[in-house]
Amino acid sequence: MEITLMQGLGLALLAFIAGLDFYLEAFFWFRPIIVGTVSGMILGDLTLGVICGGITELAFAGLTPAGGTQPPNPILAGIMATVLAHTGGLGAKEAMALALPFSFLMQYVVIFFWSGYSLLMPRMDKYAREADTKKFYTVSIASWVLVGVVYAIVVFLSAYLAQDAMRNLISLMPEWLTHGFEIIGGILPGIGFAMLLKTMLKGWLVPYLVIGFLFATFIDFGNLLPLAILAAALAIMEFNKYNDQKKAGLAVGGDNSEGI
Amino acid sequence: MKESNKVLTKKDITYLALRSFFVVIMFNYQRMMAPGMTFMQIPALKKIHKNKEDLAAALTDNMEFINTHPNFCGFLCGLLLSLEEAKEDRSVIRGVKTALFAPLAGIGDAFFWFTLLPIMAGICGSFAMSGNILGPILFFVVYMLVFFLRIPLTHFGYNLGTKSLGKIGEHAAIISRCASIMGITIIGGLIATYVSLGVSIAIPLSEGFTLDLQTGVLDLIFPHLLPALYVGLLYYLLKKKNVSPVALITGTFVVVLLGAFIGIM
Repeated sequence: MEITLMQGLGLALLAFIAGLDFYLEAFFWFRPIIVGTVSGMILGDLTLGVICGGITELAFAGLTPAGGTQPPNPILAGIMATVLAHTGGLGAKEAMALALPFSFLMQYVVIFFWSGYSLLMPRMDKYAREADTKKFYTVSIASWVLVGVVYAIVVFLSAYLAQDAMRNLISLMPEWLTHGFEIIGGILPGIGFAMLLKTMLKGWLVPYLVIGFLFATFIDFGNLLPLAILAAALAIMEFNKYNDQKKAGLAVGGDNSEGI
Repeated sequence: MKESNKVLTKKDITYLALRSFFVVIMFNYQRMMAPGMTFMQIPALKKIHKNKEDLAAALTDNMEFINTHPNFCGFLCGLLLSLEEAKEDRSVIRGVKTALFAPLAGIGDAFFWFTLLPIMAGICGSFAMSGNILGPILFFVVYMLVFFLRIPLTHFGYNLGTKSLGKIGEHAAIISRCASIMGITIIGGLIATYVSLGVSIAIPLSEGFTLDLQTGVLDLIFPHLLPALYVGLLYYLLKKKNVSPVALITGTFVVVLLGAFIGIM
């Protein structure tokens, strides 16, 4: 079945809202199960949307942006799986597989935003230094809305105007460029850490930096909790030392205030 | 005790929790959630710091790298704002922040992404696959509840902070010291986990035998050698040479894209 202009615009609006939500990870309206269902409503086939959304949700449950990595895009996967099943009369699983290139395309777009907004940080620093909260709001809100607009455009093009052309686009992107952005994503946090170290690092803290680095280098852990526990243990050692010194110093005064 | 400083009401804290909606705004690889953390605290910080310089200092501190879990940022900001309100030393506030964000991220990711999401996807997804609308509805309701859980969490963080203020004030020096230790240890670990950089250069030594520079040399000297050197170089340029962050970011883009183009990275 063909998609009408109104349906195309409806899907674009859905992508706009879901895209804004995905950037903030707030309401989880961006998950395939939600966007698939709403796409189905827009296309007049609710059940199809629910089924496509459900299948895509299961496939995407393991792909999460935890720890600042960008997964294949759940919004494009959910919307396009439903769209392709509707227009091509495909089964939900096949539609989901065909939707993957769109999902990858949007993944790169988001990576592009995550890299590109790094370039705006010095400007935001300036607003912070000048306590210019108005400009701070304006620029950050604009950056957010822009993301939504790009989602709307991509979905409108993919679903309504130029399905084939959009599918080809991902294969046309030169590999060095996509690879380059992956690498940039991998090393840009380094600048953030270097700036943090510039204000926090003092000579006596260097051993702790080395310990944390070595621990994380040689021990593979799934999340940051073990690292945090190591850090807490080191801090407690310091605290104990302080308590001992205080006890030794104040022994006559009978200090009994510490209960930790 | 500096009770007279208390300017934030219960309403302000609830508002802070709702503003945590924006905590990932302008997320980027360099500072991650720093712009959002600043964004959500602005009204409260304005109320606390009537003096423009104090406000600027607080905002500037908040623009430093941070990455935590969105559902816990209200808790963290509530705690930090109780310290701001008491006009604690900036280094204490920063230390507490740096010490806490990573553990909260670890707990949050483990719970919300790796536990709750697979469970919800499994239950709701299998409902939906049979065409049952209950699947998406249940998913929607549960995640809205999860979002509004941020309100009690934010109040909890703020109250925890105000309650421990007396203690914090008395032991500010040692707390700041311990927080710095935690923060720096975690940053060391984050450098090894978050920053990835490698080269893909293979040197042909003889017929049918090539030496891969990354796995055959660099990794043998030290895994994560290049990320460590990269951060070290950036630190040196920032601290000793006063190079601006803009130049560093631009330089990084240029070098990486060039490296990817000629195929050595």
